[in-house]
Amino acid sequence: MSHLDTTDDTQMTAAWMGWYRFSRNPAAIIGAAIVISVLVMAALAPWITPFPDHVGSVVDFRNRHAPPSAVNWMGTDKAGRDIFSRTVFGFRVSLLLVFGVLVISVPVGAVLGMCAGYFGGWAEKIITGLTNVMLAMPPLVMALAIGNVLEPTLINAMFAITLLWWTWHARLVYRVTVSVANEDFIEAARLAGAGPVHILFREILPNCIAVISVKTTLDAAFVILFGATLSFLGFGVKPPTPDLGSMVADGRQFLPEKWWEVLAPGFAIFYATLGFNLLGDGLRDMFDVEA
Amino acid sequence: MTLLDVNGLNMSFSGYGRTRQVLHDVSFSVGASERVALIGETGSGKSVTAKAILGTLPGNASVDGGSIAFDGLDLFRQSMADREKLKGTAFSIIMQDPLSSFNPVFRIGQHLDDVMYYADRRRGEVSSAAERKARIHDTLRKVQLADAGRVYNAWPFELSGGMRQRVLIALALLHRPRMLIADEPGTALDVTTQDEILRLINRLVAEEGLSLLMITHNLGVVRQTADRVLVMRHGKIVEQGPLAQVFDAPQEQYTRDLMAAVPPLYGPQVVDQPVSHKTPMITLQGVKKVYAKRGLFNRGEGHLAVDDINITVNEGEIFGLAGESGSGKTTVARMMMGLLSQTEGMIAVTGAPAEGAQRLSQIVYQNPGTSLNPKRTVAQTLSVPLARTEVPADRQARMEELLTLVRLPVSYLSKYPHELSGGQKQRVAIARALAAKPRLIILDEPTSALDVSVQKTVIDLLLELRESLGLTYVIISHDLSLMRNFCSRIAIMLKGEIVEQGTPAEVFAEARHPYTRALISAIPVLTAEEQALKPSVTEEERARFLVTSGGGQAAPQATGTE
Repeated sequence: MSHLDTTDDTQMTAAWMGWYRFSRNPAAIIGAAIVISVLVMAALAPWITPFPDHVGSVVDFRNRHAPPSAVNWMGTDKAGRDIFSRTVFGFRVSLLLVFGVLVISVPVGAVLGMCAGYFGGWAEKIITGLTNVMLAMPPLVMALAIGNVLEPTLINAMFAITLLWWTWHARLVYRVTVSVANEDFIEAARLAGAGPVHILFREILPNCIAVISVKTTLDAAFVILFGATLSFLGFGVKPPTPDLGSMVADGRQFLPEKWWEVLAPGFAIFYATLGFNLLGDGLRDMFDVEA
Repeated sequence: MTLLDVNGLNMSFSGYGRTRQVLHDVSFSVGASERVALIGETGSGKSVTAKAILGTLPGNASVDGGSIAFDGLDLFRQSMADREKLKGTAFSIIMQDPLSSFNPVFRIGQHLDDVMYYADRRRGEVSSAAERKARIHDTLRKVQLADAGRVYNAWPFELSGGMRQRVLIALALLHRPRMLIADEPGTALDVTTQDEILRLINRLVAEEGLSLLMITHNLGVVRQTADRVLVMRHGKIVEQGPLAQVFDAPQEQYTRDLMAAVPPLYGPQVVDQPVSHKTPMITLQGVKKVYAKRGLFNRGEGHLAVDDINITVNEGEIFGLAGESGSGKTTVARMMMGLLSQTEGMIAVTGAPAEGAQRLSQIVYQNPGTSLNPKRTVAQTLSVPLARTEVPADRQARMEELLTLVRLPVSYLSKYPHELSGGQKQRVAIARALAAKPRLIILDEPTSALDVSVQKTVIDLLLELRESLGLTYVIISHDLSLMRNFCSRIAIMLKGEIVEQGTPAEVFAEARHPYTRALISAIPVLTAEEQALKPSVTEEERARFLVTSGGGQAAPQATGTE
């Protein structure tokens, strides 16, 4: 090889450059720290909370509506249960909801979006048409409708959100696929004998991973907020299992005197949502994508 | 008299926590009315030098030492506002890409007027709209846009690439600068248009007494537009001197390598590839292709891409399809591969695929940056064709064999495309094509995205591979000097038709069609001897086949062909 045709030895890998951008972004680091703290709290809830048994059907009427103190850091609720303990456990339900919704809607949306973008024709018409119809439906109305037809439970709420959520991913992945599908490397793979499954999952999907992961992180924040909204409206888990939205709903009746009863779960919703949003923005800068 | 004096310039870029020096002690000067060319390959620091002079360096660049003086004025000691005032009046830049330099929602006149209005304001002059318009019309006439009124009111998309390049030159001339900096002018355009643009720049420089700093990687362009030459490499000026001295007796090995890498058009260095008389592989007879228009109202009509194509590609030959953008050469190649079907005529594929291969032909694309999946390693890319041609146990060994064939280290299997240089990426693309065991490879401008020295190594590799593997090539290119040495037969295409066919030696010695002659005569060459051997073109022929200076027609952009 000629001495004129060499690579630059000082070249940096894309992963390292991405990490550099991420690590120099204070908001992203704070977001990552918050998300990690939420995950750790949810995982270790029985060991780090002062009253883990207050998650169950404990009633302590002598101590009901107690303001924050050294024993009950965030006070107690109408049944005398420790609000701090219940809030930490409340993260578990929120994260379960996030996981349940995204584990189904992201892959479904991604596959449909890739099919629409790569195959074109009728696949494109049907999938993009369906996406547009679904996007036109207000998710809250959809969730309330399904909850009323079936049963107002967390599972049904999850089902309702999932039914609508894949459309965002389908649309996003569709857009990326359309721009990638005409690249020479796709045709080259086809000429080399690759079938559609290989092209979709090995050639196109790796190019979508960045946008999907950014969108998924931002989604987590939305789903937490949306789940809290639904449980606030009565689509929660069965009592006495704590969940952030219904804790706010319960405490609301005693406002403004018993302000601490909504403060902890309300702040928890804010904290988790903020964390996922900051992390998502940081990832977006790191991958340099539009999502 | 020295107009521009760059002295001991050191510059570095910082990013991602590291600092990299991009200019090392760069010193040169440009005299009044002198034409100086700055030659260098990608990443040599030539554009950075121009930006340092203009004062348009990006934020992460820092000047670590040295000075730039313009007419005795030390630029680095000027205030920002004073440096702003120099832009356009002391020196101007002619931008490289005429196709993306205009905002499509503003008329051409608006672009020119904006520049003039703000430049006037910076200098504290008040000008009326009518007076500015008169000055703009004058400038447009100066760049040989005769119908200045029409150009003034045109939208960017209504003008051809050559006309837009002229408007860019007009933009640079608006305020009568004393020095022009031209950054690869016309390289985005066809060779005949580029030739016109270079003539225009030369004439303007001579008539207006301007100094010219020509930044280019094309040595042929340098010969036409420079009195003195600076050769730059890795941020250092490795050689400088008068044109004749550097071109006739280059001192540095690097300069000699650069010169040797340019394929000659005429002379003893020209290589004639042997003509093959073996059996035909692909025969096209009377082939015509019409791209159907998709629309509500104009269904049925269409765009005639190619017409009456008669070609035979024999086994073992290197068949060249030459032509400018929109001439239909890519359409022909895709029909040969069976990727497009012809509208009329016959395509007979008589060659059979090799044993174990799925297809007779494979393709190597123009831009290795887009023909390799950025998210897949070299090994993953190569595994796709190998999955069809090899049993799993042999794949690893075959991959290593392929990389060795294209002269890359075996360790590159685990690299991603962004870790490779342009030439290395193109080698991987060639390896991928070879992995599918083709007997015919279509080369779609395989070297036009590469530097000239890298082009030479890739072309040499292709010739070796053909020798050792018994391949047949069809190459599509607009670069006739490359094709002169690489092809055993060539066909020249113009507006979808083949106007000339034969061995390169025949075509270059006595081109019958005036378009071929115009095309050959527009190629920038390295020596005066070659220049003298080029066919002569009458002004009348030039006017017939080239985008002419005068009013110029709004060139309809061919769709779907290139």
